[in-house]
Amino acid sequence: MAFRLGQLGIPWRRKNSRDDDPYWAFFINTPPADVANSVPELIRSAPEGNIFPTKAELHTPEITSSYVKEMARYLGADLVGIARLNSKDEQFPFAVVCAARADYDPRTSPGVGGQVPVQNGLFTTFVLSAWIRELGFRATATPHARAEQLAAAAGLGTLDADGRLVTRELGTRVHVANVILTDLPLAPDG
Amino acid sequence: MADTVEAAKAAKPLNGTDPKFPIPYLGRSVRIVGPVVNVDMNQSPHPKNQRGELGKALFNWYHNSVSKDPLTRVSAPNHFADRRNFIATVINQATTGKVNAKPVPVTDAAAMTRHIKAVARYMGADVVAIARAHPTFMYSGSRYVQDGTAEDAYEESTPEGLVRKFPSIIVATTAWDYDKLQAHRHYIGDAAYHVSQIRGHMILKALEGYIKELGYAALRGVVTPQAAAVASGVGELGRNGLIINKTYGARIHMPDPILTDLPLVPDEPVDIGVEDFCKVCRKCAVNCPTNSITFGDKVAFNGVEKYKINWLTCYKLRPYVHDQWTSCLTCATVCPFTKPNVWWRSLAVWALHTCPIPARPLLVRALKAIDDRFWGVVSQKRVRWLDYDTGIKPGERACTVAGCTAAHEGDGQSAMVVGDIGYYVPLKENTNRFVKRDG
Repeated sequence: MAFRLGQLGIPWRRKNSRDDDPYWAFFINTPPADVANSVPELIRSAPEGNIFPTKAELHTPEITSSYVKEMARYLGADLVGIARLNSKDEQFPFAVVCAARADYDPRTSPGVGGQVPVQNGLFTTFVLSAWIRELGFRATATPHARAEQLAAAAGLGTLDADGRLVTRELGTRVHVANVILTDLPLAPDG
Repeated sequence: MADTVEAAKAAKPLNGTDPKFPIPYLGRSVRIVGPVVNVDMNQSPHPKNQRGELGKALFNWYHNSVSKDPLTRVSAPNHFADRRNFIATVINQATTGKVNAKPVPVTDAAAMTRHIKAVARYMGADVVAIARAHPTFMYSGSRYVQDGTAEDAYEESTPEGLVRKFPSIIVATTAWDYDKLQAHRHYIGDAAYHVSQIRGHMILKALEGYIKELGYAALRGVVTPQAAAVASGVGELGRNGLIINKTYGARIHMPDPILTDLPLVPDEPVDIGVEDFCKVCRKCAVNCPTNSITFGDKVAFNGVEKYKINWLTCYKLRPYVHDQWTSCLTCATVCPFTKPNVWWRSLAVWALHTCPIPARPLLVRALKAIDDRFWGVVSQKRVRWLDYDTGIKPGERACTVAGCTAAHEGDGQSAMVVGDIGYYVPLKENTNRFVKRDG
């Protein structure tokens, strides 16, 4: 459809409301006193569901990959890529790596706000892996020890000297979510 | 529902007549005209159906049907193959956390209001507003959260007692994706609806947890979302019974709001011309596949003057279309306020807002004519997403891969479908015989 220009606005009128917000530092930096108030903790501790007994009809691995990436973006991932796992483990030949935009580094900001990228990443990987299981294939979302290396292998960006992911779209302000290990036939990137 | 309302009227004193709680102004679309009986959510459609009070077909549809569509099985509130694959179960059935014993002191309520709104938006909410609580907004009976549980120490409080203790309601919600919503009555529209719904569940749970971390109470399952939305200026109530928002039109969820004692400054009801538009338009009533939306005027129901939809006929269609879709969304899709969030939409809403009220019917007729010309009197847009395609007639098969040039012979696979028309079951002519229009 034509005329899909967004809102008209005056750019220099925009100001950052977080500068005069006296509670913003609490939101980002103070860790929750009760972990039951933390949604990331809830999703992390949830059990995994069953695999649907009938496999869905799939097209070529390239088309299936484009569907998986589109679904990941629709579920809130900012970056998504697919890597081939070169281990001998035949159960999971592929890894889907999702990354979420992180204005504050979740490793150094333990507050509810600092963990929002983690929360978004967990939401994406939970629903995406559940969707792949409902397609009839194995999928498990796990916190992977080599998540950033896998993200680099999946073409999301490159690693800097500290081993952190640097991406073209978001720089280092990015949080690599849980890695989804799957046997869905996909076409790896990178 | 009439018998329960009568029973409740006899049993307890009525709201809206207490001089300590003056009747709130709710904008031009809704007016409290008489005593309001607090709604018991155990008498609302889903709980009634869960108990089997709406008949066998609907009971089976709700409890014993697994959807054909993988995305519906992970995102819709029932029809899953395995409940553990549905994230709202995980979120809503979790134990609630404790309120922080050392509250953050709030000296400036306005600053805290700005902060809570910024927090909700940072977590991903599209709309957030604050309402001043009123006893008529509260549910009676036990706490109600769809697909989950909620309980707190104030279950025995009266509505008046709750309002005295918790004066503010936070309404935060997510909007559905416009392009996918065009495929209303199809799995694509379901995706727009259900994915934003589970996202909204997560955002509200996180916001609830954050308010408790600030050291203040956050009660769930207490407040009627529509009443809070109208009072907080999220939108106005339309003919289709949906809240129509300034930015998104009818394509927003109405999830369970948060009742809290956090010091906040409430927002005011808005006037975006929904009242004047709904008097003239009737597009949702024309398009509704079950004729559940009235063509007539407002009625006073339970002390509230509003357009009353027939929820029972709306609900009863669902088992018959289970193979094609889960959530209808037709009245939200065809609403002229439901448009992408772009400058020409803002211009139209601004024009309605600034136009003096006596001149509005003329402007509404002009906008309605434009809407009918460009979006169609009956919405039949073709939408493609992943391997879904609304251009394929229900029951038929065709190739859905964009740019595919294969021959497509054999294997029951037909060639690619051309054209711009989408097919949405049930077609209007097939449902007219079930439900008569009300004049």
